[in-house]
Amino acid sequence: MNLDFSQMVPYIPFILEGIWVTLKFVIVAIILGSILGTILALFKIGSIKPLRWFADAYTSIFRGTPLILQLMIIYYSIPQLTGYDISPFLSAILAFGLNSSAYISEIIRAGIQAVDKGQMEAAQALGIPYRAMMKDIILPQALKNILPALMNEFITLTKESAIVSTIGYLDLMRRAQVVGSDLFRNFEPLLFVGLIYWCLVMGLTVLGRMFERRLKQSD
Amino acid sequence: MIKVEHLYKKFGSNEVLTDISTEIKKGEVVSIIGPSGSGKSTFLRCLNMLEIPTSGKVFINGQDLTGPKKDIQKIRQQIGMVFQHFHLFPHLTVLENLTYAPMKVKGETKSLAEEKARALLLRVGLSEKEKAYPSSLSGGQKQRVAIARALAMEPELMLFDEPTSALDPEMVKEVLDVMKDLAKSGMTMAVVTHEMGFAREVADRVLFLDHGVLVEEGEPREFFASPKTERARDFLEKVL
Repeated sequence: MNLDFSQMVPYIPFILEGIWVTLKFVIVAIILGSILGTILALFKIGSIKPLRWFADAYTSIFRGTPLILQLMIIYYSIPQLTGYDISPFLSAILAFGLNSSAYISEIIRAGIQAVDKGQMEAAQALGIPYRAMMKDIILPQALKNILPALMNEFITLTKESAIVSTIGYLDLMRRAQVVGSDLFRNFEPLLFVGLIYWCLVMGLTVLGRMFERRLKQSD
Repeated sequence: MIKVEHLYKKFGSNEVLTDISTEIKKGEVVSIIGPSGSGKSTFLRCLNMLEIPTSGKVFINGQDLTGPKKDIQKIRQQIGMVFQHFHLFPHLTVLENLTYAPMKVKGETKSLAEEKARALLLRVGLSEKEKAYPSSLSGGQKQRVAIARALAMEPELMLFDEPTSALDPEMVKEVLDVMKDLAKSGMTMAVVTHEMGFAREVADRVLFLDHGVLVEEGEPREFFASPKTERARDFLEKVL
């Protein structure tokens, strides 16, 4: 066995800084993706046809092409087409936010549609207006269906975030590569960030479980 | 109170209701019976626009529900509906199920809504369940809560869509008792039911539907003793 973590010690702070760098854009991307995803989901279940078509086309494009391709297109085409020199951070947020909104919209749509149709009829029969019905009756119930799948999406996004290393964004993954080429040893830094990714995902998992338990109170 | 004129309903090319005209007066209890698939439920659901009629008119207190730009939400507030499968809001407690719509729709204060809700729960015999969630109730209890929830809006008319069909046999009576009580209090009711006993004892009038056609209507004693039409005779032979 030729494993030696001692040489890595001076680089540890440099790698740990990457946690925040990764988290920063993952969090912004999750927020952007959730907002856009909710809007797209409402388009999909709504009765306005052009909006429904738009949301369906959007989803099909962003689900139908590789994420790394979308990232590259945003990062390289925007400067070429508009002359605006887009930063890796902004490209990453855009690519991940736009991409995950496609998935999130499907998760939310399915979650809403899984709520028993009778709930909507009961609300309508009571004369409850559409917005109040969605907000107070349908969405709280849909949340229960949505949450596990949504957590899954957030976990995927956290891990796939490593792709941004390809456009030179100094996230965890990129830092592991930098350290690796400095030391001429790749295995140890890769193993180390692997552990960090795992911890991040475990954190998310625990958070998701806590939420689910709170929602299950009425069962 | 309700007037239905030449009501037609089609699902695609399938005609489920054909030229139905009838009237329900204030304080009247009308039972709608007929074989399954005869369009009873669809007819009931046309009365509060949960199904939009293909053609024909429905008047509630003289307002045409099928007319253009009717404020359907406003009219639905006057019409309570009880479903076969209860459709209580599972994430709300029993008390919240009763108070949500009066507070949200009619702008009642919480204390007023709760006071009225408690009185209704007392009436349906479920006072001790106000903090329970629907999932912890039996079918009969759920349906009684559902009736109370509809009554909380103080409707002028109550629609019942097979309210006892999803219940275990021993729970049918407790729900029917609440409905009988309600009928005695003078509530206008339209009840789709397979409970011939209820139709005979409680209803003022029976509507018999078959294949989407209003085949016969009449006073219950007369209808059950000597139905005028062949189809009604056939049906009663099978169910009684």
